[in-house]
Amino acid sequence: MTSEEKGAIQILQGTLDLMVLRTLATMGPQHAYGIASRMEQMSEEMLNLNQGTLYPALVRLEQYGWTKGAWGKTENNREAKFYSITKAGQKALEEETRRWRSMSALVEKLLAAE
Amino acid sequence: MKLLRRMSAKLLGLFRIHRAEDELAREIASHLAMLEDEFVRRGMTQAQASTAARKTYGGIEQAKQSHRDERSILWLEQTFQDIRHASRTLARNPGFTLVAVITLALGIGLNTTIFSAYNAVALKPLPIADPKTVVRMERWFKDRALGDIQYAFSYPEYVYCRDHQDAFSNLIAASWPLRVLATIDGDQKGGDNEVKTLFGQVVSGNYFTGLGIKAGAGRTFGPQEDRGAGTSPVVVLSDSFWQREFNRDQNAIGKILKINGTAFIIIGVTPREFTGTSVVPQIPDFWTMIGMQPQLVPGRNWLSHSDDYRLQLLARLKPTTGLSSARAEITGLLQQFSSTYVPRNPTIQVSLQPTAFFGNTEDDRFQAGVAMLMVIVGMVLWVACANIANMLLARGAARQREISVRMALGATRIRVVRHLLTESILIAFAGGIAGLALTTVATKLLWIEVQQILTRLLGSEFVFGLDLKPDGRVLAYALALSVLTGIAFGLSPALQFTHRDMSAALKDETSMLGHRVSRSLIRKVLVGGQVAVSMVLLTTAGLLVRGLTRARSADPGFDAPHVFLVLADFGDNRIKAAVRSQRLAETLAAIPEVKDVSTGTPPMFGSWTPPIVVKVSSAPQGEAHDRTMASYASDTYFHTLGIGLIRGRAFTRQEASIGSQVSVISESTARRFWPDEDAIGKHFQLDEKFDGKLTDFEVIGIAKDVRFANMTRVDPAHVYLATNASNFNTTLIRINGDPAAALASVHHAVQQADPNLLPGLSLWNAETTLVAPRRLMAQTLAAFAAVLALLALVLAGVGIYGVMAFMVSQRTQEIGVRMALGATAVGVLRGVALPGLRPVIAGMMIGIASGAGLSEFLHSTLTSPETNDFLYGVSYYDPWTFGGLTCFVAFVAILASFAPVVRALKVDPAAALRFE
Repeated sequence: MTSEEKGAIQILQGTLDLMVLRTLATMGPQHAYGIASRMEQMSEEMLNLNQGTLYPALVRLEQYGWTKGAWGKTENNREAKFYSITKAGQKALEEETRRWRSMSALVEKLLAAE
Repeated sequence: MKLLRRMSAKLLGLFRIHRAEDELAREIASHLAMLEDEFVRRGMTQAQASTAARKTYGGIEQAKQSHRDERSILWLEQTFQDIRHASRTLARNPGFTLVAVITLALGIGLNTTIFSAYNAVALKPLPIADPKTVVRMERWFKDRALGDIQYAFSYPEYVYCRDHQDAFSNLIAASWPLRVLATIDGDQKGGDNEVKTLFGQVVSGNYFTGLGIKAGAGRTFGPQEDRGAGTSPVVVLSDSFWQREFNRDQNAIGKILKINGTAFIIIGVTPREFTGTSVVPQIPDFWTMIGMQPQLVPGRNWLSHSDDYRLQLLARLKPTTGLSSARAEITGLLQQFSSTYVPRNPTIQVSLQPTAFFGNTEDDRFQAGVAMLMVIVGMVLWVACANIANMLLARGAARQREISVRMALGATRIRVVRHLLTESILIAFAGGIAGLALTTVATKLLWIEVQQILTRLLGSEFVFGLDLKPDGRVLAYALALSVLTGIAFGLSPALQFTHRDMSAALKDETSMLGHRVSRSLIRKVLVGGQVAVSMVLLTTAGLLVRGLTRARSADPGFDAPHVFLVLADFGDNRIKAAVRSQRLAETLAAIPEVKDVSTGTPPMFGSWTPPIVVKVSSAPQGEAHDRTMASYASDTYFHTLGIGLIRGRAFTRQEASIGSQVSVISESTARRFWPDEDAIGKHFQLDEKFDGKLTDFEVIGIAKDVRFANMTRVDPAHVYLATNASNFNTTLIRINGDPAAALASVHHAVQQADPNLLPGLSLWNAETTLVAPRRLMAQTLAAFAAVLALLALVLAGVGIYGVMAFMVSQRTQEIGVRMALGATAVGVLRGVALPGLRPVIAGMMIGIASGAGLSEFLHSTLTSPETNDFLYGVSYYDPWTFGGLTCFVAFVAILASFAPVVRALKVDPAAALRFE
């Protein structure tokens, strides 16, 4: 593992799910490549999502019923599997966001306390 | 919720693995394509872009694997994989697979059959509602009496407990099946009302309601019936009786059944599955109320006699009551009640037993017998397992390389062992299913055999309610046994093949208990063990079969075909009973067809073996202490039974009527205690009541030997004591001519003289009910043992052949070389096949030694005069049996060993050399 990779933040499973859902909610239906590049973009190259973590996450989300996959064509006329967020996914996104926010606030408070 | 959905998605996914894989490949391809496009857009060439895309993407196979890991239940998928692979492997070796499956089918089938029988007898619950909460009451006597008597209670005891108890929601009483004479009113069959012998039970009013039995037709007893003596002459019929007599005609309900002269109305029929609740699984023909007992059993009054134990008590526990507190309460109540009368035999404890079809199944002797049986069939199964383990070891050497490579590539040991075990368990499963099929057939045959024996022993009027069909429990047992068997023979080879130390694996070694053990040594041990077990089983069976031929011609010592036992119930008034008994004897004597009448102990009807003391000068302290069989005999006893007198005389009428202290002894007794002297006039002492008090007797006659204890051997010692008809012994009569005509005369005569005796009167022919069943049992036992032993031998033979065949295939090159160098066929046989016989010989010797030990053990059990000698006197060291069987086993072993080698010899040496 290079020092560059070591510098990159290790991602927890649950938070990855959250980020993918958010991406889909804001960007609309996306394929895996799109999701990966978007997330790398957003994190300014700090996130290095190797395919080992992204694909399992996508499978998980589909199995939970939070996303739905459908084959379609990209602008370049390549075929790709597009994932879109479902209603259940929307609800889960709100729920998880709320939980993340309250948890991170709590951690912040603990860390701030002397 | 999300987890549930995920789980179901995963499970569904198991069926769509191919589709999922395809989609994954598509997705990855599309991803790579898009990466390529990106790089091309940035200015690379197609080829460069392609390489860069792959580099950026990362490991494709790893990505696929992590996707798979996430997508499915990994271990389940792996198991499916294993099963598919194992099936393919087994299909490719049909010979091995077939032999293995058949071997196991026989072993598992045998075991399951025995278990099925045990299940039907001791484990299956009665066909009542919620059988788990119903218990049987069992009492334990001060004098340690055992058997059916432990389930008997008196009516007053029942009433007292019923009225004072709190632990049970229902306390139910039921009698044993009672023998009655009945006619069906309005029965048009045969013109006149034919009198039938039926068996019925008297029960408490809450019998059916308490047990939760709803009527199959009509109704069962309601609360209006349980009101007291003689007020409810109603009967409920059993389904089998309804079938037999009325052909399930609904019009039977409402008809009158005249039982012992009293009219009873048929109010209903029980459902088909209800076969009764007695401790012996006999289906009664009908049930009626306890209040009607005086009509069913004339001359006896159970309702008011506290000491007359006649009823079985069943109880349904309240859901809130624990077993131990219920038990304590009932014991207390019973002891309270027993202070109101003087019991002949005080009860010290009451226990509550779960209900099964037979009573006394927790009896140590029964359990020991069952355990022994299971051990024997277990041995056969073990032989089968050793067989297959050997075959697996032999075959597996070829797969050793494949396994070592897998493990070198990183497969965990557990994974590979799981894979190998799957194959074993698959074989075991197939064997188990085939074995279950065998069990179904075997239990049917077994039931037919058992029914034959039982009908002869107990009379053809008995209807039995035992269902030997395999049920859920038996299925579970077969399943568990299959899995265990699979692991048993599969684990050791699997562990050996996956041993970490590769060099050891390649050297055909393994490590056992820390020492280096050659794998071929294990094979040899297995072969030797199989032969040893087969030897033991074979010799035992051989001796049993020889014993059988003796059983067929064994002479019981009395004229069984012409002797009839007359059993009658003389009522409970002792004085009246003595008079009636005398009157019966006189009545019978007056019948022309009856040649002789006597009273005494019937042969083969249970045995009485009191201690005997004889003054013998050669014994320590001048006295010999021993046990002897003893029987009571009237003056005409020996004549009636056809037992010849060698010397001296039988009892006179006078001696019999006062019970003088004289005795007739058997020739064996005379030889045993007075070998060189004339026994007539000598004295001996008997402890008749087992209480230490000795009574002196003088020998007045010597009779020929008999087999009264059992058919297997002559009674080692037998003394006859004088008695007469008033001592409640059985009446024995001799009928020389046509038995049917004679029996009709007997019935007629008894009808005239003492008609109340008729319902409880029964005549039993000594030959058909006492002697023949025992011969039949011996036959069945010997047949069973022979089948078992042959099975074991076939298995062992097949096993030896398999191992030899493998060894030969390993050494085909060597054989080719030997032959090319000029070795003769005999030379090759000597060099290759003969060493293979060494474990066989070792096994045979161990088998013989074990057999000798077993024989010693069996002989040591022949201590008491009444124990069975299963070998019918054949000496265990019987040279014919031993020699013959040893040769037979050796022959089979040699055949199995040499056959593969002979086959290999036929191969062209050049081809053998090239064999890889």
